[in-house]
Order: sequence, then structure tokens, then C-alpha cells
Amino acid sequence: MSECLLKAEHIQISFGNVHALKDVSLEIVPGEIHCLAGENGCGKSTLIKIISGVHQRNGGTIEFDRKKLEKITPIDAINMGIQVIYQDFSLFPNLTVAENLALNSELASGKKTISWKNVRKIAEEAIKKINMDIDLDEKVSRLSVAQKQMVAISRALMFNAKLIIMDEPTTALTKKEVDALFKIILKLKEQGIAILFISHKLNEVFEISDRFTIFRNGEMVATGSTGELDDKKFTYYMTGREFADKTFIPEKVTDTPIFELRNLSLEGSFENISLSLRGGEILGITGLLDSGRTELALSMFGLKPATSGEIIRNGKPVKITNPREAIASKIGYVPEDRLSEGLFLQRSIGDNIIISEIDSLKKKNGQFDLKKRDEEVDRWVKEFEIKTKNPENPATTLSGGNQQRIVLAKWLACNPDVLILNGPTVGVDIGSKHDIHAILQRLAQKGLGVIIISDDLPEVIQNCSRLLVIKEGSIVAEYDTQQVKEQMIIDAMM
Amino acid sequence: MKKGIAALLCATMVLGLTACGSDTKETSGEKKAEASPASENQSQLASDEAVKKASDEGWEIAVVPKDSTNPWFVRMDTGVEEFADTTGVNCYQIDTGEIDATHQAQMVEDLIAQGVDAICVVPVDVESMDVVLKKAQDAGIVVIAHEGAELKNVDYDIEAFSNAGYGAFIMQNLAEAMGEEGVYTTMVASLTNGSHNEWADAAVEYQKENYPKMTLLEENPRVESNDNGDTAYNAAKELIKTYPDLKGILGTSSYDAPGVARAIQELGLQDKFFTTGTGMPADNAELLKSGVIKSLTLWDPAMSGQAMVSLACKVLAGESITAPLNLNVDGYTEMTEREGSKTVLEGQGWVTIDADNVDSFGF
Amino acid sequence: MNKKLKSTFKSNEIYIFLIIIALGILVQIRSGQFFTGNNMVDLLSAMIVPGMFAVAEFLAIIAGGIDVSFPALASLSAYASTRILLDQNYDGNVILAFVIAMAIGALLGAVNGFLIGYLNLNAMIVTLGTSSVFQGFMQGALRAKQLSVIPSGMKEFGTNSFITATNKTNNLTSILPYTFIILLIVCAVMFFILRYTIFGRGIYAIGGNPVSAHTVGFNVKRTKFFMYIIIGMIAAAGGICRVCMMQQMHPTNMLGMEMNIIAGVVLGGVALTGGAGTLIGCILGTFLIILVQNSMILLGVPTTWSNVFVGIVIVVGVALSAYQSIRTEKTKKKLVKEAA
Repeated sequence: MSECLLKAEHIQISFGNVHALKDVSLEIVPGEIHCLAGENGCGKSTLIKIISGVHQRNGGTIEFDRKKLEKITPIDAINMGIQVIYQDFSLFPNLTVAENLALNSELASGKKTISWKNVRKIAEEAIKKINMDIDLDEKVSRLSVAQKQMVAISRALMFNAKLIIMDEPTTALTKKEVDALFKIILKLKEQGIAILFISHKLNEVFEISDRFTIFRNGEMVATGSTGELDDKKFTYYMTGREFADKTFIPEKVTDTPIFELRNLSLEGSFENISLSLRGGEILGITGLLDSGRTELALSMFGLKPATSGEIIRNGKPVKITNPREAIASKIGYVPEDRLSEGLFLQRSIGDNIIISEIDSLKKKNGQFDLKKRDEEVDRWVKEFEIKTKNPENPATTLSGGNQQRIVLAKWLACNPDVLILNGPTVGVDIGSKHDIHAILQRLAQKGLGVIIISDDLPEVIQNCSRLLVIKEGSIVAEYDTQQVKEQMIIDAMM
Repeated sequence: MKKGIAALLCATMVLGLTACGSDTKETSGEKKAEASPASENQSQLASDEAVKKASDEGWEIAVVPKDSTNPWFVRMDTGVEEFADTTGVNCYQIDTGEIDATHQAQMVEDLIAQGVDAICVVPVDVESMDVVLKKAQDAGIVVIAHEGAELKNVDYDIEAFSNAGYGAFIMQNLAEAMGEEGVYTTMVASLTNGSHNEWADAAVEYQKENYPKMTLLEENPRVESNDNGDTAYNAAKELIKTYPDLKGILGTSSYDAPGVARAIQELGLQDKFFTTGTGMPADNAELLKSGVIKSLTLWDPAMSGQAMVSLACKVLAGESITAPLNLNVDGYTEMTEREGSKTVLEGQGWVTIDADNVDSFGF
Repeated sequence: MNKKLKSTFKSNEIYIFLIIIALGILVQIRSGQFFTGNNMVDLLSAMIVPGMFAVAEFLAIIAGGIDVSFPALASLSAYASTRILLDQNYDGNVILAFVIAMAIGALLGAVNGFLIGYLNLNAMIVTLGTSSVFQGFMQGALRAKQLSVIPSGMKEFGTNSFITATNKTNNLTSILPYTFIILLIVCAVMFFILRYTIFGRGIYAIGGNPVSAHTVGFNVKRTKFFMYIIIGMIAAAGGICRVCMMQQMHPTNMLGMEMNIIAGVVLGGVALTGGAGTLIGCILGTFLIILVQNSMILLGVPTTWSNVFVGIVIVVGVALSAYQSIRTEKTKKKLVKEAA
């Protein structure tokens, strides 16, 4: 390699007895887009914190811009040209865009007072660099996630950044916004700025990066140019496991639909949605972030009751205006944001599993049947291979994938016939993702009707037998997943 | 009992009238005499049989205040000393230091051990004191309390006045200032404060019976001061703005009248708008002297101290204690039993504080 | 609508202002006494001390903290300085009283600032604690009791008229004492500090996102420390104003004011979560509370119901401002949607 902008070798760090990074290396050349990938807890965030001076390493060497660095402070890192854009953007929501952009330089100037004229000038220059069109007087709290990200990027650019580190920048963005972000990243690359892009989304890694590095359990497992990488290798590096690539083919499908929608509408969100689902089928619904897919999911479960249309179970119309009625009709729902909606994070794993079937765990006298509860908890922990030493530990102690399994277990505990999942693997490790997919397929083979709502196209293509595309509140296409190509779906979505 | 109150009210009225004569010179002279511990009752006190006996027998009577450093109890000490001087009775107030319930109980234990003949106590904490007083009574010591109506192990508890009597007395002061005519309203710390509202109710009752030309402000018969001079001040200003006919505010809490007075001063309504109520002399000396407030009402701790000692003498001498009881101490000459209680005796121990006597109290 | 007008109507302040006007009209209809010179002067004069306390509380809340110790702090510093001047038989003007009180206030504020800023303890707990300590010190160590006579300079300052308003119909004359100027100065100085100094912007930044404030380069600890010193100084100045105006010093008289002051500040649209709110909103919210408290009799609300009425105004006001922020949030989402 010609010359490195950043050369980190044999980095080690431990917190107490935990070796967060055992021995990792990372090399970034000027003007490249480098993707750092790895499952949660693999040490990628720790390495960023070492590079940006938040943590101090226990061993290894770091060279930046051909200078060997011993101890790095956050200020040193900024002065050398290293900028980190964290997931929360580190912006001040209560201040205006202009002030957010200018505060840094005003502070650095060492003056005691602020000149608002100067603030404006600095801010105008900053947004010019990425041709952003934004109201400088707007408060940051009123911006969309994508706009906030742009502000964070412009702020980073003000310090003659040579390396910009972006921590999972696409998490909360719509497809369009991701595209816009990638355009800007490419533009930065043209200016010779290196980008370290952290992601665990496969398609993004392929789309944007020149080279990649993958960590697993605090060790570097692979690095190279993205061209040499494919799906299978990527998954293997991330998880250390190999997965069979099988597209779901339903085996036992009921003759009649068990769940149907007829002209279901929710004012302002979706209109005249009709669909039918048979037992044993997995139906996919995909669409852009604002297409109405989430609202549809909420309406089917009674969280946002539909304003007109019919929901039909086993040929009979049912009224679903709240979740209780949905559960009574044997419909289960796994929400998009499992952390806020799906789990009582502070409660034990066991309690979380049995919460939705709590009514059936009564003795005859109405007393709570503790023995039966423990049996139920054991059953589900085993069935879903939830990795925990003790099911009485709080749900927060589990990894994202295992948390998702609890949410699944919770809903399956009340024996639904129809299970609706909204973005079932958002923010879940690749390994757990495969496990969850396997569970869903197994459930469908047992006769459950499953609806997966997701914008993760490989996910829906691999796991569903049929796929509906929703756009601006209406269904615009239906595909057989055995024949569909990703690009066809994207075209329909846009 | 109703008759009793009526009799009491008549008595107060007479007292009030004598105290508030029309001739200012005479009044001031009389008041000065009343405010100083020494009075005509004093001579009768010395010739009282029980007191004489106490002096002859050398009975030891100890007075235990809440906090001997507090000016209120310094004033009480003055009264007790005066009692000793004029009668020769061996009575004294002990030094308790700062207010502290355990410490006070300890002092009483010491007095029991010393074998005094009577203990007069103003309890800090009723419950803990009651236990100690049981020991005193078991040891044959006479126990007299003041402001401790809930105490069980006492011979008698002396209260300076009944709530009804005091309310009527405040009204006399307001009526005098207002010339017995015009619209007035009442002010309390809060509508939930027990004694303040009893005083105010009694005051209104007394006005209806005795001052036909005065009327209670119907639209707003009672306002709150939250025991805060600033609130009283703002409320007074608002009342004056809203009701142009209003001429007086009857205060109850010690923050009421001074707060109202500030409003009177600022609005330039001296001699046009009046107020009175409970007030401590030293805190209000300036207001009284400037004439914004004509008079305030209070009870005199010196007299309470003397009344306790006097009663102790009577009990020690084996006199039968029956109402109306005369202790030969100003304000404690016609003491009555509180309804439903055998130990609590109520006097008419209120005093008027005005520009002339305000400096004589020492607190 | 032009942009400026639009943003005015998006703000919370305008609604509080409208509530104030509406209430004023109501009082005027009921009593005919609202829009009179003397009533206005009465209200402004009732606003002086709470107004200063509100500005102090505003600082604490903007930085994401809270201060419930300011009444005790103000009492202690005002008591101590009045006592010192009385003991010295001081008969000069009021400036020395302010200097001594504010110095003590700064010292006491520094205690809060050290505990909250440097030791990073919870502001609510710290100020609850120091509030008891300040009270205890005043009542125990200083054996504070009412001071019914205050130095002549202070008395003059508190009673001499800055503005005099006479109502021609009933001949009532109200005066606005010079202490009002202190309130104006406090507001002006704090406005400047919050808007035009790095320190002031730091207070906002810390309230918005303390972690980012640190990474951007603010000295978060020192900023908080100095902020609580300033809070102490403002509170102490408020305490002296109160003593001057009342012409006496009650050691316990100001205690318990904190809740209504906090309610007023929040009513003015200042978020308890920190970062959001304006000085104008804070003053308007406090004024609304003062107005309601001092209009119950004029409105003819029976004393039994006045607390209920004050409570209702606070709840309605806070609900309105919450509704207002939800509404702007919604229009914002709509706009984003349309733009997408």
C-alpha cells in the first residue's frame, strides 16, 4: 500500500477483566471509503473511541498522517483532522442550525462574547461545502434525522477533516435519504477526505465502500477490498457460522384464507388495502418508510384502528379497534421498535415471555399459578434457544437478537393463528437474524400465517412466499418471491 | 355555657370600656399601669391568704419556661420575680437555655429530685412532658401548666383566654379605631387555621351584638395572609381597590396587621383606614408610634407567670378551686373552666398594645 | 404571513401574553380596576422580588438543573447583611447592603455550584439539602428573629417612589419603589449574558446536550459552578429588595416561594428538561402567576376558591403551552412529509 492516513496496529484495550479489543489493526488510505463491520459488541465502537481520544489503549501503535501518536486527547484528534459523527450526532437540539455549526469555532477563537453576524457567516460557509439547503434559523430539534445528519457532517467539515468516522449513519434514514447521504460521502471522497463507515448492513457495504475490515469478538477477522467480498463471505466473517441459503417454500397451506383485509383504509395513511393470507404462508409487505406500511401493521393489530374497510378471520368479519380485540381474534404483533414497544426491559426475561398469556396462568381461585408460569418460561426459553443463564435476569441483559426472540416467544405464548411482524430484524445481528428467520419459517411450516413487514429486501425475498409492495398508501405490485429480482421491487417502491 | 360566654363578653366589654376610655390622657395612664406587672391587684395578691401562707411556710415554687433566652420568657421571668418581691414567696424561673424538649424534661426531673413544692411548666413537647409530670405528681408535687391544655398529669392548666373572648377583644380594638362604624373584613393566616378562625368568628359575633353601625364586608368576609406580611400587604391593597367603602381589616395572625399597615401607609390612608390584630410590641413599635396602627392585641407572659405561681399557692394551701376563680393577677381575676375539661382554666389575660405602652414590655 | 410573524405565533410567549391580556380584561369587566395606573403599579411592585427569583430559577432550569434553595439563600444573605449593617449602626445608602448580601449570596451559590458542577450531584437533591442547611444556619447559628428596624438607607430605597400612580376616581396612590430598577438591571444583564456571551450560550448548550457541550469544548463543570454563583447573587439581591420594601426582615417569610416561582417559569414555556425557553417567557409566566394571585379579590373569587383558581390557571397555562409544542411538532412533520 502506498501510504496510510491511519495505521492502527495490534490495538489492545481491556475494561476490568474484559478484553474488549484483543489485537486489532486497521489501515485507512487517504480518500478512501472504508467500511468497518461486525456484530454488536465486536469492538468496533471501542476502536473508534480509541482513535478519537475518548478511551486510552493498553497496547499497540497508532500512526496518523505519518506521525506516531502516543496519547490522544479528544482535542488532539480534532486538531489532527479526525471527526466522529456519532449516532446521536452530538448536536444541541435547543439551538439553531447556525449556532450548532458555529459554536465550535466561536469557542475555539477564545473570545468571551458572541457575534451573531459572525455565527451566520460561519454557518453559511459550512453549508455551502455540501450544498445543503436548510433554514439556518430553525432549531435543530425541528429537523428530520437526515437533516440533522447533514448538519453534523457540515460541522465536521469545518475542521479541515482528513478522516470522518460515521457510526451507523443510515439507521434511521429512508432509502431516499440514504442515497442523498451516499452522494455526499462520494463528494467528500472526491475532496480527498477518507471516510470510515460503520455498518452492519450488507447492501450498504457493497454499495459504498472501497475496502472493508470486519471484527469479531475483539479481533480482526478480515480486511481487503470490497470487490473480493460476497454475501456468504460477509456473513461468515461476521458470525463465524455458515448458513444455508434457502428461500422459503411453504409446505402445508390451508385451502381457505385465515386472514383477509377488504378495502381497509386509514385516513391520511393508506387506502383500500385488500389482501388475503392462508395458514402456513409467509406474506411479505414492503415499501418506503413513509409508504404507510407501519400504519397498516398498526391497523391490523388495532393500535391505529382503520377508518373503513373490513378485517376477516376465517371467513367471518371481526371488529379490531384495540389490541385486546386483536389478541382475542388470535392475532399477534411484534412491533418495529422492540425496545420501546415490545418489552418491559427492566423486568425479568420470564415475566416478559408470559405477560401476554398472563390471563391463562390462573388457578381456579383466581390466584396466579407460579408453577405453571415457570413451566411456560422454561418451555419457551428452550424452544427459542434464548441464551441466558437465568430467565429471572432482566431483559436488558440480553443481546438484541435474544431480545427479539423473547418478543416472539411472548406473542407465540398466546397461540396466535396470525403473526404480524414489523421490521423483525431491525438492529439485530446477522447471526440472530438468521436464527429468527429460521424460527419464523419453522412456525409457518407448522401452519401459522405470518406477515412480515420490512424494507430489508433480501429478508422478505428469502423468507416470504408472496410479496406485496405498498407505495403512498396503496398496494402497487404483488410478486412471487421465487421469480422476483430486487431491482423490480425497488422500481415498484420508488 | 352560652350564658357563661355572654357573661364573659359583658365582663370583657366592661374591661374594654375601662381600658379604652374617651379621655386619651386618662387612658394612656391607665394602660401604662396595666402593662406594667405591678398593679392594684398586686396589693391584693400580697394579702391573699394562700399567698401569705406560701410565704410563711417557705414553699418552693419553680417555673420552667420553654426557652429562657427568648424575650417572651424573659418577660415571664420579670413577672415571676416581681411576684417573689412583692409577696415574699420563694418562687423563681429556672434557666432552661435554648428550646429543647429533652433538656426541659431533664430540668423537671432535677426539680423533682430537689423536692420543690410546686412546678409550673410551659411544655415544649406535651407527650414527653406528661410522663415526667406523672413522676412529679407521684412525688406529691403540685403541677401547674400554661399553654399545655392536653397535659393529663397536672393539677391545673392556665390559658390566658378563651378563643371567643380574645376574638371579641380584638373587635373592641378595631371598633374603637373605626369609631364603631363602617365596613370591615377579617384576615386569617389560612382558612384552615383553627384558632385564627375561631377568633375571627367570635369577633364578627361580638360586632353584630355590640356595634350596629359596623358591617362585615359580605362579598369577601375573610381573606388569607398565609402568615406572610407581604401577602397581607398585597391583599389589603387589593381589598381597598375593590371595595371603596371598606374601612377596616381585623387581623388575627401576627403578620396581618403589620402587613395591612404597610398598605395603609403607602396608599396614604392613615386615619381613614384601620387595622388591628395580634402583634409583638418590639416588632411593631414604629408602626404604633407613627399612628398607622392605633392598637394591637396580645397577652402578657409576665401575667401568665404570676397567675401560675398564684394558682400553685392556692393549691398548696388546700383552697378549693372553683370558677369564677380570682388569682389576683390582671386578666386572671375571673377564670372559668373550659367546657369539657376539669383541669383547664381560662382567663381574660389579653392586653392592648399602643404607642404609649409599647416600649414597656421588653420584647 | 411573513417569517417573523409566523415564528412569533409558533412561540409560547405570545400565548401567555394573550392569557394575561384576557385575564386583565376579565378583571376590568368585573371590577373596573384593572387598567388603572395604581393597579398596574401595584402589580409591577408585587412582581419585583418574584421576578428576580424567577430569573435565577430560569438559569438553573435552562442548564438542565433546578434550584429550590434560593428562598433560603436569599433569606440568609439578606438577614446576615441587614444584621451586620444594624450592628455597625450603618446609615449610608443601600449600595453596601447589596454588596454584602450579594457577596454572601455568591458564597452560598458557590456551595451549590461546587456540589452540582464539580461533584456532578443531582441539582434537586443538592439544593433541597443546602436549603435546609441555610435555614438551619440562620435559625441555629445566627439565632435569627424578625428585624423590625432596618438601616435608614435600605428603608428609603424600598419606600421612595420611582413611579407614583394616582387613581383619580378613588384617590388611591400607589408607588413603585426603586427596587424595580434592580429587577430591570437583572433582566437586562442576564439577557445580555445569555444571548451574547460564550458563557451564556454554554448554559443553553449544557441544557441541550451536556455530553456534546463537553466534546465541543465547553468547560461544563466550571460553567455550572459560576452559574450557581450568579443565581446566588441574584437571589440575594432579591432578598435585599424584599427587606427594603417590607421595611423589616422576616427570616422565614420568603421560604416556600420556590414552587410558585418554578410554576411561573415553566408556565412561560421553559422546559424542565433544560435547554428550551426564553427570558421573556420566564418573566411573562411569572407575571401571570403574580397577576392571578393578586386579582382574586378584584375578580370577586371567594377566598375558599382562590387556591383552586390559581391552580387551574397554572394547569391550563402549562397544558396550553404543551399543546402548542405538540402542534408545532405536528406541522413540522407534515412539512417534512410534503418536502419528501
